[in-house]
Amino acid sequence: MSNRPTAAELATAVREFLEAEILPTLDDQRLRFRTLVAMNALSIVERESPAPGEADWTMARRICAGDIRETDLAELKLEVAARLAIASPKFLGRYRSADETDR
Amino acid sequence: MNDDLREALTAALGSPVAAARQLAGGASKEAWAISLADGRELLLRRAGGGVMHLDSLSLRQEFDVLVAARAAGVLVPEPIEYLGDLDGRESFVMELVRGEAIGRRIIKAPPPGLDLQMAEQLAAIHAIAPETLPFLASGDLWDRLYAELDSVDEPHPAIEYGLAWCRERLPLERPRVVSHGDFRLGNLMVDDAGIVAVLDWEFTHISDPAEDLAWPLVRAWRFGNDAKRLGGIADVGPFFERYAELTGLRIPPDELLVWEVLGNCKWAIASLTQARRHLRGEERNVELAILGRLAAEMEYELLDLIEKAA
Repeated sequence: MSNRPTAAELATAVREFLEAEILPTLDDQRLRFRTLVAMNALSIVERESPAPGEADWTMARRICAGDIRETDLAELKLEVAARLAIASPKFLGRYRSADETDR
Repeated sequence: MNDDLREALTAALGSPVAAARQLAGGASKEAWAISLADGRELLLRRAGGGVMHLDSLSLRQEFDVLVAARAAGVLVPEPIEYLGDLDGRESFVMELVRGEAIGRRIIKAPPPGLDLQMAEQLAAIHAIAPETLPFLASGDLWDRLYAELDSVDEPHPAIEYGLAWCRERLPLERPRVVSHGDFRLGNLMVDDAGIVAVLDWEFTHISDPAEDLAWPLVRAWRFGNDAKRLGGIADVGPFFERYAELTGLRIPPDELLVWEVLGNCKWAIASLTQARRHLRGEERNVELAILGRLAAEMEYELLDLIEKAA
């Protein structure tokens, strides 16, 4: 499974955005200083984040080759839900409340 | 707008530029609202600086598609002039249409009959004679999707699962038509009376009409109004009924569900390829980057739809 951009790559993207698009629009010295501090904080996150592990292609290749198992669907749903719990927890919550309404 | 571009535009259109405002554009193209000193108001579409998106039309082709669509009675901004190279980048001008295109706003108070109008526009688009647009991509659907997924170069077993599930269920025996390729709320300019114009023709291609019909059903295009399956504005029944009335084509509900799953696969893959534009440095942009993570939303939805269909 893969999970890119990694946390470090996301921090880089935000830092670059602040530098390229926000900083040039700021005239207020206090805001400029605070934005530079925020950028520095993000660069700490970038350096501290662990390097991503090797991607595991086994399941993707097996399914692509047409070897689909009965347990795949449930397993994949759990795996995607785990990623969503980090990337978009509110989205996942919408399914849970819909399921409760169905009952 | 810089002076060189302003001068080039003045020379091309024969009137000084009185005002120019850049609009939020597509992935790799710029859009400008232009007011000319002679009173005309236009929209300038211009190639962006970055690398072009895989499979998107050139501006010359997009202009020709607008001409063909307008001739076929589709509501589109009037294509005014293809300008060719404008200060180093391909451009054309078209009518500046006004209204609301932000999906999240439209779903709050959709104009009455918007669902039927969507069906009418799709029927008109699908009636465009394909031979008038010989450059449109007409390759195999599966080849196209697998090539895009391969270009991401990352394992995504949930998407593989979705593609395999759809492939087993879609015979693709229907005659193919000119397809808009991104027909959904967000790409429709709407006012109180309904659709003003169908926008964003850069992904037009030749395909099974069901691909366009199911695309506005995809959950991401319901803008949070999950219970209304058609773009967060309506149930799908009247929309399909109107389309069937106009075209004679009635797609069985279980096949449409498969196309809806496929739409989720497509948007998941497109989100991943957009994130690659950022990661590879072709266009550094937080909005593109975050799509790499939001692809998991479409993965979850496609698995959920498959599970419920069983």
